Amino acid sequence: MQPATNANRGGGTGGRARLSISHKWLLAALASACVLATAAEDARAHPHVWVRMKSELVFAADGAVTGIRHAWTFDDMYSAFAVQGLSHKKEGEFSRAELASLAEVNVTSLKEYGYFTRARLNGKNLPISDPVDYWLGYGDSVLTLHFTLPFKASAAVKHLSFEIYDPTWFVDFSFPDTEPVALSGAPQGCRLDVQRPTGLTAAQGQQLSEAFFNSLAATSNFGAKFANKVLVQCP
Amino acid sequence: MSVTPLSTTCSRPMCSRPMCEPAGREMDAALAEGPSSLPYVRVAAVGGIAILLVLALADAVLAQGAFGLGPHATAPAEATGGIAGWLLQKQASYYREFTGMIRAAKRDGSAAYGLLGLSFAYGIFHAAGPGHGKAVITSYLFANGESWRRGVILSFASALLQSSVAIAIVVIAAVLLGSTARVMGNAVRVIEIASYMMVVAIGLRLAWVKTRAFLAARQAWRPNTAVAAFALAGAAGHVHTIGEFDSHARHGNHDHHHADGSAHEHACAGHGLPGGQASCGHSHGPEPDDLIGPGGWRRGLTAILAAGLRPCSGAIIILVFSLAQGLLWTGMAATFAMGIGTAITVAALATFAVGARSLAGGLAGSRQVGGLLALRGVELMAALAIVLVGLLLLTGYMASERMFLV
Repeated sequence: MQPATNANRGGGTGGRARLSISHKWLLAALASACVLATAAEDARAHPHVWVRMKSELVFAADGAVTGIRHAWTFDDMYSAFAVQGLSHKKEGEFSRAELASLAEVNVTSLKEYGYFTRARLNGKNLPISDPVDYWLGYGDSVLTLHFTLPFKASAAVKHLSFEIYDPTWFVDFSFPDTEPVALSGAPQGCRLDVQRPTGLTAAQGQQLSEAFFNSLAATSNFGAKFANKVLVQCP
Repeated sequence: MSVTPLSTTCSRPMCSRPMCEPAGREMDAALAEGPSSLPYVRVAAVGGIAILLVLALADAVLAQGAFGLGPHATAPAEATGGIAGWLLQKQASYYREFTGMIRAAKRDGSAAYGLLGLSFAYGIFHAAGPGHGKAVITSYLFANGESWRRGVILSFASALLQSSVAIAIVVIAAVLLGSTARVMGNAVRVIEIASYMMVVAIGLRLAWVKTRAFLAARQAWRPNTAVAAFALAGAAGHVHTIGEFDSHARHGNHDHHHADGSAHEHACAGHGLPGGQASCGHSHGPEPDDLIGPGGWRRGLTAILAAGLRPCSGAIIILVFSLAQGLLWTGMAATFAMGIGTAITVAALATFAVGARSLAGGLAGSRQVGGLLALRGVELMAALAIVLVGLLLLTGYMASERMFLV
């Protein structure tokens, strides 16, 4: 013990001239700030669930829009996790009835997140009711959750937009390349435009550009950059 | 590795200036300027470079498709700027590859090695992302002025605990009980709440200790109220009589456990010297000994539990997927590989925390009372940061990770 102490002291004056005290203070302050920033850093997870979705806008006979019908297909890893322990008759198969309780859990849990769906009609937010007609299907080792989100108010469409994203990016949503959105019973002349995330998703195996991430302010809604936005214009 | 702990900052505030003078200069030399503080900086630098190398290697190896993965067109330039985004993207792409790797391991056993490599890389990147564990460990080390070696041990212990908990949940719930994902999700939630409560408890305890230390330093800063400082310390239930300081009577049962076995710098080398001189040797006036003394490992255990008890949801999902593929053992090995990767990143952050604290401690030593006050202030902030993180986690304002939809 003691010799080591002496050795340290012996060389103690060696580094004296290296840095001025004020510089060291600056360094220490910076280092401390970094540690505290690390501690207080907001938690941001990478996606753990990938969803391929198909959406359908449902119109009433009078041309008013009434809701969105979603079909979300989960990735195989998450699907395997979700069906763990569920009783089923045939190996590797799950019937709609066997998955009914899981579907119930899914839509209940989704409520907290607003079903990751935000809609605007003619410039105003369009509130969404609890889902109806929901069920889970299983095929090719993946689960698909079907559900319909009724709008609280139905009205004739001039401009309608809806976005699907997870603000925390725990779930990565993406539209398939073909027919991502359908209009069911829409009036003649409605135009549909699907905007994919600006950053593109890891699901598509594409790299997110650095410029994209650099453009994110600390307070920005990170997941919104991964929003899938659908625009509908009707005459 | 000769690392001198800095928890022994001279407590000159506790004694009168003239008596402390010689020791004070010694402390300046030893702590602020001397190489006794430089090893921390060197360790931090070496650790930082090492972690960058590991990251680069892992990336290069995976990018070359050595594990049978597709090529990744990763430009090295991506590492500069937007690091958080780059890390996220890496985690996401690695995580996405688990499915294919596990399937490959099912067809061909040798692909399991690739899976282990992927898990290791994923662990490194994942720990660099979100997680309360590293927040707790870095703040804890910083506030307590712990040794580097202890920081590394804490990092590895908590990361391996995290892997073990994930495996335990899947083995007990899924394999033995045949439980559903929902049951596992609930188990995680219970564990999560327990560990967040532990985070708050650790933070509160540290904040309590550091508040007293800060107040004592502040009182000492205004010498005319020095008597009040003692009164305050006494009121806080931690009575130090002058005589106790003078005689160092407590030294016998007051062994500091420095795992690295390095020198313990006592500023006032005059343990045997008469009078007040001996009183400057220790900073433990306001600091309970048990934080670094004999009770320290028990406290360290709380930090390990708080940081490592909550399993990573990704690990559980991967384990269940492995189980569904009939490859649970491979999944378990992959989980441990992930834990080792996590530990390396957390240890690098711990190194940084210890280095920063060492720097601050050295400066405090060189700056007399004002410096000590500043140091105590920063320590208190670190302790409060732990409380804040714990409360945000508990109240759900800060989600560590979700167990989505189950």
